[in-house]
Amino acid sequence: MRRHVHTALIAVVALGGTLALAACGSSSKSSSSSSSSSASAKTGGTVTITFGTYPDSLDPGAFETTQAGEADQPVYIPPYTYAEANGIAGTKIIPGLATSLPTISADGKTYSFFFRKGLKYSNGQPLQASDFLTAVERSIKIPWPLGSAFLVPLIQGAEAYSKGKSNTVSGITTNDSTGEVTIHLVAPYGAFENALAFQAYSPVPKGTPMKNESANPPPGIGPYKFENIVPNVSYTEVKNPYWTPIPGIQSGYASKIEAKISSNTTASALSVLNNTNDVFDWADTIPPSLLPQILAKASDRYKKLQLNSTYYFFMNQKAKPFSSMLAREAVIVGLNRPALARLGSGFFVPGCFFLPPLMAGHPTGAPCPFGVNPNATGNITEAKKLVQQSGMAGQPVTVWGQERSPRRQFVDYYTQFLNQIGFKATEKIIADATYFPTTGNLKLNPQTGFDDYNQDFPNPIDFYGLLLAGDAITPVGNLNTSQVNDPTINSKVNMLGSLYKVPTSQLSGITAEYETLEKYVADKAYEGVFGYLEAPEFVSDRINQSVLVFQPINGYWYNTFALK
Amino acid sequence: MSVGTGTAGTGTEFSAELFVQGAELPPGIGPYRLAWRRLRRNKAALAFGGVFLVIVVLCLLAPVYASHIAHTGPNDNHITEMINVGGKPTSVVSLIGIPIGPTWHSKFFLGADPNGRDIAVRLLYGGRNSLEVGFVATLITMVLATIVGLVAGYSRGLIDGTLTRALDVIWAYPVYILGVALGVSLALGGIGPIHGNSLLVPAFVIGFVFIPYVAKPIRGQVLGLREREFVDAARVQGLSHLRIMATEILPNLASTIIVFIPLMLANAILLEAGLSYLGAGVQPPNPSWGTMISDGVNNIPAAIHLVLVPGIMLVVAVLSINVFGAGVRDALDPRARVRIGR
Repeated sequence: MRRHVHTALIAVVALGGTLALAACGSSSKSSSSSSSSSASAKTGGTVTITFGTYPDSLDPGAFETTQAGEADQPVYIPPYTYAEANGIAGTKIIPGLATSLPTISADGKTYSFFFRKGLKYSNGQPLQASDFLTAVERSIKIPWPLGSAFLVPLIQGAEAYSKGKSNTVSGITTNDSTGEVTIHLVAPYGAFENALAFQAYSPVPKGTPMKNESANPPPGIGPYKFENIVPNVSYTEVKNPYWTPIPGIQSGYASKIEAKISSNTTASALSVLNNTNDVFDWADTIPPSLLPQILAKASDRYKKLQLNSTYYFFMNQKAKPFSSMLAREAVIVGLNRPALARLGSGFFVPGCFFLPPLMAGHPTGAPCPFGVNPNATGNITEAKKLVQQSGMAGQPVTVWGQERSPRRQFVDYYTQFLNQIGFKATEKIIADATYFPTTGNLKLNPQTGFDDYNQDFPNPIDFYGLLLAGDAITPVGNLNTSQVNDPTINSKVNMLGSLYKVPTSQLSGITAEYETLEKYVADKAYEGVFGYLEAPEFVSDRINQSVLVFQPINGYWYNTFALK
Repeated sequence: MSVGTGTAGTGTEFSAELFVQGAELPPGIGPYRLAWRRLRRNKAALAFGGVFLVIVVLCLLAPVYASHIAHTGPNDNHITEMINVGGKPTSVVSLIGIPIGPTWHSKFFLGADPNGRDIAVRLLYGGRNSLEVGFVATLITMVLATIVGLVAGYSRGLIDGTLTRALDVIWAYPVYILGVALGVSLALGGIGPIHGNSLLVPAFVIGFVFIPYVAKPIRGQVLGLREREFVDAARVQGLSHLRIMATEILPNLASTIIVFIPLMLANAILLEAGLSYLGAGVQPPNPSWGTMISDGVNNIPAAIHLVLVPGIMLVVAVLSINVFGAGVRDALDPRARVRIGR
């Protein structure tokens, strides 16, 4: 799930791009693509995983964080899900509880699919098609934090239901006898298949309370079910006795998964190093001071995983100095990306394009604009010249940043860099919880600062539609913090833009167009991209890494945890 | 006055010294001069006072050190640079973000921080910031607390009640919680024309939260002083209340105020370090001993110098002020016995 929290959006109606399977291999640091070899994997046993942060909710209709998505992933299979494979192969959408990919009407506004027969919840109750409607209505009522982007504005009748003007979501019809579900959208949205892969769309039994049931989440259909939840402390997952095997979804190796919370990440990392715990949560940071030990003693069970997460400095085109393209180019040319990677403890791949390496449309192998080498230290002399040419030398700049490490250190560096190339920069560091709402307020009109975006799903429209489209600029909760409003980009990724409407299943056909757009965005220096996040895969020597699957959206597939 | 003479046990009289009670002063020796003599004899207090003076001077010379010895500023990042350590080229910050330790040379004498900034340079500039905040905060506390305590103790009645309750409200909040709340909110918007990044913001916050700690004792002393005969005499002479407070009562508070100054300075420096550690004091990238400790906490296993260096400096500074302050308090104590050479 995302690190960058969505806030309310104006009606986002989008036609998504199709999901590409274009080989977009990043550096050798990315997780290697591996086909799960179950031959050597042992079944049974208990696997322990430590988390630094407890899931915000274990209820599929209420969660938002990666920790929660990871826990729910093997418990609540949605109608569609992602292939259990590492790397870009893991971004392919496949049927989950549905029998096949949805049938999409010619106008792109109607989706229909059938649920597989004979499926049962973890309490033995049989699945009915109408349970899908229950799940959607429940997610609206709770409400699901991402519902304002991926649920309410998309489905006909969802808005009326959310406001209490209707007692059901009129745009969803179901047939319990055939298992068919039909969804009518407000407007074509090509990425709707990706939306159907959110756990919020996983069916739940009728009668499930319409409130956040994190401590006692509803039964689901998945290889595992919850057992022994101690809020903010631990939870356990055990095999679901009513699970019916589904092609493409591993039925699970370990009998039990125990998740424990430990806010002391140093202690967590040491416990995995010493084999007293099995898995270190990838969303936590391994203290850099421990890395030498880990590399020396456990390099065979440690590696870096590529995430679909871009880190950048936004540059507001509507305010000086970054209303000048030369000023923006100075930042692109002068940034020391390897230095920023070191500030991130080395968990960064330096880069210059907006889409991350595992996202369709990332122009793999293409040179960066302005002769930039992302692995070089930046050309300060050229940057200073560009600032002088822009006429913005001496311009006061406020640089916004978050408190937590290493984001604050990124901004420390960036502020010093801006001063070095000729601006008069000062920092403003604010609390993490208020950072994005603050920079997303157009009244503030922030000039520049830290930003990052982690995919909601592996479809480039997720990045472009919210961060670069002109119609995504909103008075509050604005994610297009650079206020990019370019007609060339808008014609493709605004609502009803040419790329926006393309269904997910046809994404491979428009990958080249996204690559062209990426180069255009880079040439215009719209964003100060400096790298793509990596995460640590660090496990004990009990874990069979040959079958372990890490999915860039929700993290580890727990049903691929296996002991040697 | 009691006068004593004594012998050294050899039958020789020595009459060069008189032992006097502090309250019984020979003519021509004022109480402050007496206090200074007492202080001079307190070698420990003087030594620690000297240490603090050395710290202040070193911090004032930070720009000289930065430009002539370290050749870098306090905020200059050198993340990917290489330097020679023991003849071997070494990254200032390693690929996994571990900064170099003390080189004991002019460059990175005490090592670098994760942003590749020179710790020694930041230590001195941080000391300037910490001491500046401490001094200004102490000044704010002492001035406002003296005024509030004086007015409250002298006025009594409604004014005293109102001021005392206001002090109680401030006092009721734990100092750090109140400091963090004020520091965070004011850091964003500033105070009037004062920018949020200004050092005056944490100075004001710290000065404000410590007012009750000084105002209340002063008020207590004023309550006693206002009943003294010299105050009655001043009233009878027709002096205004303001004049009485300024000319009759305030001078008698001088000793109390002097004793409080080093105490509050030490507390102000400590509180500034704490607030800066929590992100509510000196704002980045400006260094202070508190922000330096905060920056280094996550790197303790691999780069303990990040925490030790500013931590030791903070301890030495506060300890030296406290010991010197204790010496000043003892010197000003009217009940102390003292030898006076004739």
